[in-house]
Amino acid sequence: MFVIKCPNCGERDLSEFSYGGEAHISRPEWRDEMSDTEWAEFVFMRTNPKGVFAERWNHAAGCRRWFNMLRNTATDDILAVYGMGEEPPEVTANLPATPSGEAAIGSGNDEAKVIDAGDAADGGGGA
Amino acid sequence: MADPTAPERRSPLAHRSPIAAERDAVRLAEIPFLTKHILRVDPEIGAAAVKSALGLDLPQEPLTSSRSNETACLWLGPDEWMIVGQDNGAAGLAKELAQEHFQLTDVSDYYTEVEVSGPRAREALMKLTTLDIHPRAFQAGQVAGSLFGHANAWLWLTGESDDDGPTFRLIVRWSMADYLWCLLAECGREWGMPEEQPVAGEALLQASAQSL
Repeated sequence: MFVIKCPNCGERDLSEFSYGGEAHISRPEWRDEMSDTEWAEFVFMRTNPKGVFAERWNHAAGCRRWFNMLRNTATDDILAVYGMGEEPPEVTANLPATPSGEAAIGSGNDEAKVIDAGDAADGGGGA
Repeated sequence: MADPTAPERRSPLAHRSPIAAERDAVRLAEIPFLTKHILRVDPEIGAAAVKSALGLDLPQEPLTSSRSNETACLWLGPDEWMIVGQDNGAAGLAKELAQEHFQLTDVSDYYTEVEVSGPRAREALMKLTTLDIHPRAFQAGQVAGSLFGHANAWLWLTGESDDDGPTFRLIVRWSMADYLWCLLAECGREWGMPEEQPVAGEALLQASAQSL
């Protein structure tokens, strides 16, 4: 079980929090011409690193405020907690090597997984 | 005779009467119909207004409260407070803040308060929540929002005495009050608290009609 340190309330159990997905994703500036690719980048595309990941959390059962967190997805270490609108601090993370020698980012067959954003838009059949 | 068609004011736990464990180790009672307001304002602006309208310091430290007589101001968030009391003076506060950017919402009927007291109250509550309510971590005047079973509630330690133990208040949503009541009774079973069965739907209407 996680214990998360809320910037307002201090250390609390994970059950009090709700997860808000990846942090630092901002809505693209509106222009008259915007491609589906550009919108897809904003709406759907998220990094899924094995390692340090910046994510948003909400202390739903306590002060109900949002904050950002740096978490090591490989070990679930919480590396830093910082406020909304702040830049992520520098951290050092322990990135354990896996038995199959995967790359630090992602897992499995990386060659097959790489998706070119342009290809995705052509084949997407989006509206 | 009272007009049978007139609306009746009925608290969410009107069908429950106060219960206690053996030798009053844990006691449960509802404190209904307290006036409650949620204040949202910039703390720098709010502090002066709360001071002059209510005579209270606006608690700015997280998880704290201030209290004078029957009115209390509880910290709920960095710019959010609950003002609770029999007549909590919120009208005066709204007048005081009239020129400012603020929000004052009457939530009297959203929440009710359940008082958990007695020498074993801490131990009983510890069974329900992940919150650290050990005396070294949770002292008189502190307020914390957390989960109690499945119910979201604010826990407020109003006071503590050497011989009668702590007096907690749980500020809980109307709809979760009966659930929490039964769960608290269950937590007190160890010390001989009577069993309470959840009541809902039609049975709840009948039970609370009988209690009037």
